[in-house]
Amino acid sequence: MSRRPSFYEHLHPPTVPDRESRLSYTFGLGGITALSFVVLVVTGMLEMFLYIPTPDLAYDSLQQLIYQAPFGWLVRNMHFWAAQGMVISATLHMARVVFSGGYKRRRFNWLIGLSLLTLTLLADFTGYVLRWDERAGWALTVGTNLLPLVPLLGDWLHAAVTGVAQGELALGPSTLIRFYAWHIFGLILPLFALLVWHLFRWRRDGGISSRGDAPRRRAIAADTGTAPPRKRRERSDLIREEVFTALAALALLVVFSVVFPAPLGTRLDASPAGAHTHAPWILLWVQELLRVWSPGLAGVFVPLALTALLGLLPYVLDRRNGGVAVWFNREGRAAQVVFTGAALAVVGLSLRAALR
Amino acid sequence: MNRLLALGTLGLLAALGIAGYRQAHPAWGRYQPGPAAVRSVTPSLSGEPELCLTCHEGIEEISPSHPVEAFGCVSCHGGERLSLDVDGAHTTLIGGKNPSDLAVVEAGCGGGDCHSGDPAEERDHIARVQRSVQSTYAGAINGVLTSFNLQHPGDPVYGLQAVADGHIESGTGVAALTAFEAGAFDSPVPEQFAAACLTCHLGAEPIEAEFYYRGTGCAACHTPYGQDGLYTGGDPTLPRDEAGHMSQHRLTLEMPYTQCNHCHNRGNYNLVRMDFLPRDDAASFASLPTDQRRPLEYYQPIGQFTLCEWELDCIDCHTNKEAMGDGDIHTSQADAQSVQCKTCHGTLTEGPPLVTVTEADAAALRRADLNPNYSLAAGDVAVLAPDGDIMGAVQLIDGQVVQFAKARSQVWAVPPVQGSACEQQPDQQESRYCHECHDYDSHAH
Repeated sequence: MSRRPSFYEHLHPPTVPDRESRLSYTFGLGGITALSFVVLVVTGMLEMFLYIPTPDLAYDSLQQLIYQAPFGWLVRNMHFWAAQGMVISATLHMARVVFSGGYKRRRFNWLIGLSLLTLTLLADFTGYVLRWDERAGWALTVGTNLLPLVPLLGDWLHAAVTGVAQGELALGPSTLIRFYAWHIFGLILPLFALLVWHLFRWRRDGGISSRGDAPRRRAIAADTGTAPPRKRRERSDLIREEVFTALAALALLVVFSVVFPAPLGTRLDASPAGAHTHAPWILLWVQELLRVWSPGLAGVFVPLALTALLGLLPYVLDRRNGGVAVWFNREGRAAQVVFTGAALAVVGLSLRAALR
Repeated sequence: MNRLLALGTLGLLAALGIAGYRQAHPAWGRYQPGPAAVRSVTPSLSGEPELCLTCHEGIEEISPSHPVEAFGCVSCHGGERLSLDVDGAHTTLIGGKNPSDLAVVEAGCGGGDCHSGDPAEERDHIARVQRSVQSTYAGAINGVLTSFNLQHPGDPVYGLQAVADGHIESGTGVAALTAFEAGAFDSPVPEQFAAACLTCHLGAEPIEAEFYYRGTGCAACHTPYGQDGLYTGGDPTLPRDEAGHMSQHRLTLEMPYTQCNHCHNRGNYNLVRMDFLPRDDAASFASLPTDQRRPLEYYQPIGQFTLCEWELDCIDCHTNKEAMGDGDIHTSQADAQSVQCKTCHGTLTEGPPLVTVTEADAAALRRADLNPNYSLAAGDVAVLAPDGDIMGAVQLIDGQVVQFAKARSQVWAVPPVQGSACEQQPDQQESRYCHECHDYDSHAH
């Protein structure tokens, strides 16, 4: 008796390419990113029951969440570590796609993915600010002072996230409630919609891209009349692996959250003025650039240019479709080199800033 | 493959089990005898809940005038009131373990409603202490500079910190002290002096050795330290075997001589060698029980002291203004001292100066209220010290001057000089002349 496939099974075609569906090829990075998002939504909803988004009470409510709500500490730690994990796994997922030519023949989905990464970083930053500790105060002050420098949209963006006039200190209730709303709705709803779209296009494109799609194989088929067989396997095998990976990742997240509490600085109003401070880790590289370049250049132009460069990567640096699912394929060499260069620059600058 | 799923499920369950154990046994739970439970106090003065007692339950209430129900912990200590993490809770403490350290005392003990109050009501404790010689160390600094010909008339007068006083009341007060910088002189002496001799002012961290353990700032006098520097109170977070802690979390006005002796009577300075020579007679009393140590331990075996100086504690004679400052900046210990033997005993020709206490003498009445060993009320007659302090514990009762001990429960009748066999000369009225006849050999007794 045949069983009708479940919703989850529908995420995959009935059979999946054997090689490209293995953990050894994907490292499970896309799935871990999606899982992180689910964890973040669930833990975030739980946090919403206790977090009070006003300057007077935000920090207090966070302390109450951590120390007085049963398992509140676990919820917050999981939310924090899943968020950092999502940034890392999404970035590594992107790197995997670059180095294995995964963007070829499905370039638009690369743009959706890049948008997802951007929204993820913004969600990470807004979440960081909601802690309302002294480091959030610094991040907020620096970040909101950069916003007016954004071309065209600058003034609107500043008003949209602070609610105060430019030049005023953005540490009041209007800013906090806006960051709260952006964090929960303004960023996460589009992120969810784009995630669905990302997965939909991925599924419509036949699931993970594989060498089965490669022009070389079609050329052989044209010559011989039969395509060389590609080994495929039942999706049920993949799903079992995915569930195991998800369970293992969750277990790791829980243990990590037990051992390493999410950081929380001192109360915003108690912070010593002029304290040496680090930007949120995702922006350390920008902070390092801000030490030497003008705010407009380092804080606005470079991040926007990097985003644009990444967006153009499959359209300008590698327009060819050869080398799908081939690690470090020759056709994508320029894209791989540029991506590696950008990644090294960001990581190098971040490390330098972190070690100061 | 299903084994893989079982393994994953088991792994997640195990992780959740670890989390559950952590929930039931939080890190702060080790300070609680029973199951871990958050202890919240909402002091009436702030109205904001504090979780400090979750870990510190059992600690002594600092004093009856600072009840925890009103003050809580944070109003003096700062810190993060809702955190139960060791670092998170303590990072923003005022002055670390001691909010009365002079570097932070304004934040820890100050404020117009507290100890930075009106000088007229003697509620300006902080300002007075910061100008006092115990804090400025001006006597030692300027004494050394003068002795080595490094300071001449008209030169700045130095203190450990720069202080100013816009309202000089005494004849020996100065308007301001310049901050002493040992390296600013054309001589190695001030630096040698700074290296060897700057450990005994109120702002200095104490020498970490038996007898020397003490707090800084207000706590140097008002928080008891044992001679071994060990904590003996009920705070479960404080180690009992680590020297350098207060003996109890208390503020007291009943300071025994041992509290003063964490700094005083500890040795002598040799100005020629610019060295501190600690007293070396500890072996003679170290093994004695506390109640028998007094005659050997109190003073160094130098100088002359009368019997009452052995029996009384330092604070029985030395007034509040002598110890904490009278508001003026003085440049020598002698300028700050006021009380003589005759203050209580009188002279051959007259009795001690007496004053009838009125409601206006709020400071004297307050000090008596805060000390359980004597009481004072408007209408009582008490001795008036030359510095203007009412010595509330030395009272005229039924025609007899009576001294109540301040640091313990004891009363003495003060023998008057008038009518005694005393042979003092009218021009020899200072205490040193009394000592010549009344020297008491405590070792012989």
